[in-house]
Amino acid sequence: MKQYLAIIAMDIRLALRLRAVIFFNYLFPLIFFFTFAAFMGRTTEQMAYVVRMSVTLGVLGSGFFGAGIRAIQDRELNILRRYKVTPITPAPLLVGSMVTGWLIFLPYIVLLLYMAHALYHLPWPKDWLGLLVFISLALIAFRALGLVIASVANNMQEGQILVQLFYFPLLLLGGATVPSEVFHGVMRTIHNFVPSTYLVDGMINMMSKGQTLFQNWVGVLVMVITAFIGGFISFKLFRWEKEEKIRGSAKWWVVVALLPFIALGVLESMGISFFK
Amino acid sequence: MNIQPVIAVQSLTKTYDKVEAVKGIDFQVAEGEVFGLLGPNGAGKTSTIEILEGLRPRTGGEATVLGFDPDRQKQQLKDRIGVCLQATNLPGKIRVQEALDLFGSFYSRCISSEQLLKRLQLWDKRSAYYETLSGGQKQRLALALALVNDPQLLFLDEPTTGLDPQIRLEIHGLIEEMKSEKRTVVLTTHYIEEAERLCDRVAIIDAGKIVAIGTPRELQQKSAERSRIDIVCAQPMNAAALPQWPDALESKLDGDGRTLTVYSSRPARTLFEIMKWLDQQGMQLEDVHLKRPTLEDVFVELTGKKLRD
Repeated sequence: MKQYLAIIAMDIRLALRLRAVIFFNYLFPLIFFFTFAAFMGRTTEQMAYVVRMSVTLGVLGSGFFGAGIRAIQDRELNILRRYKVTPITPAPLLVGSMVTGWLIFLPYIVLLLYMAHALYHLPWPKDWLGLLVFISLALIAFRALGLVIASVANNMQEGQILVQLFYFPLLLLGGATVPSEVFHGVMRTIHNFVPSTYLVDGMINMMSKGQTLFQNWVGVLVMVITAFIGGFISFKLFRWEKEEKIRGSAKWWVVVALLPFIALGVLESMGISFFK
Repeated sequence: MNIQPVIAVQSLTKTYDKVEAVKGIDFQVAEGEVFGLLGPNGAGKTSTIEILEGLRPRTGGEATVLGFDPDRQKQQLKDRIGVCLQATNLPGKIRVQEALDLFGSFYSRCISSEQLLKRLQLWDKRSAYYETLSGGQKQRLALALALVNDPQLLFLDEPTTGLDPQIRLEIHGLIEEMKSEKRTVVLTTHYIEEAERLCDRVAIIDAGKIVAIGTPRELQQKSAERSRIDIVCAQPMNAAALPQWPDALESKLDGDGRTLTVYSSRPARTLFEIMKWLDQQGMQLEDVHLKRPTLEDVFVELTGKKLRD
């Protein structure tokens, strides 16, 4: 436990000393929030849409860039190599990444919801605590996916490609930026398989439809399972050194980590919906 | 009394895909000894040391370190050893003392960071970010991190590579301190003078095999038949007139005929005979050098390569 606490405390300190972390975790999403709120935040529903977009942007950024790219960077810079000679396993580093990401992200969510309420009159969600828990679980699930990508990427170039392959489709096709109502036919089916869809749908349910966390238990379950699968895969495939290469076929582990969302996508496509 | 070696290695092999990096090596390291692995880049030094540190699995053979099997008891082993890696890094924004406290928290036993910082002359830099440290300060911090769990066995993988001579001397001083504290040290290097100065015993490793092992003096003595005598005269000598001096193995004159180089197995006797001959020839002597073989000479003789090849 001593190791976990030491790593978490240090990760938080390091994160707060990096301007990039402050910029991408707070300033950039807030600029985004205020810009869109100014143009689109005229009605409650529009404001809820802006909040969902800002949250999704933050969750995906934290997951893929904050956890994924950062882990690859630490490996490429031979930082993880220094940890390798100590008696610790990868577990404190992975848990540290999850917890730090969450602790840094949570104040942003609270601030965002508060500003949406205070400045733009967005009503508090009925189950606001449940909403925070739901967003937190999503954040941990997406950070786990980011760490799986870091585990299967052999270098920064591969990591960047994989991250971009996930980040943009998840941002554009999950209903956070482009509203889900515009997706029809094949696009609708694809939308059902995009993991961020379930983050957005859960937020819609809790922010606009007055649902509770409990009523979104399927979404919660999927996030929790993804976090566990992702955490387990990244632990098993964890590499401390850039020289330790992983075979190309290991990239399929990303698909394994996505299985809970794929299962949900199949059910949604068959008309068995837990969200709408 | 039968004293168990701190490290025992038998028929150790390591293969990467089809490349055999370590080809069946054997050696032992006793408690309190500074043991050097000397060899050029790619000789198999780092692979050997990393197997012993529990960082890489071995392909074959046996190895025990402090009584642990580095493959099967990695965590217990890592808790007891100190390691200074050849290429490593820390986050740029970590402060020096924070790094020691963080890494100290990973071990079941650790010594105070304050004590270590003072000892390694980093106290004034305790609040500095890692990214602001000079190369020598970073290396001193790497050594401090290797000592944070007060290990009895230290692995130092090329601890002075890339550092300027003054910093290298500082690091040598620190390693000598560790030696005086009776810690066992395994050191890899391709600096001959480092091995000669610091090591009690040296294994010369080339192409994955140990080609010689012993104290630096023992290794030098193996090559004693090749002491080199350089004679510089005021006038040129006649190459055709050079006699066969006793115990001389090879003689040669340089281009202008003024510098004579003789390799001898008994240099004192050969030198005496050369002096006698020069006197008979009426030659005026300007300079004399007698050079005993260094570890570098031994290395070149045994492997046919230079250490920094």
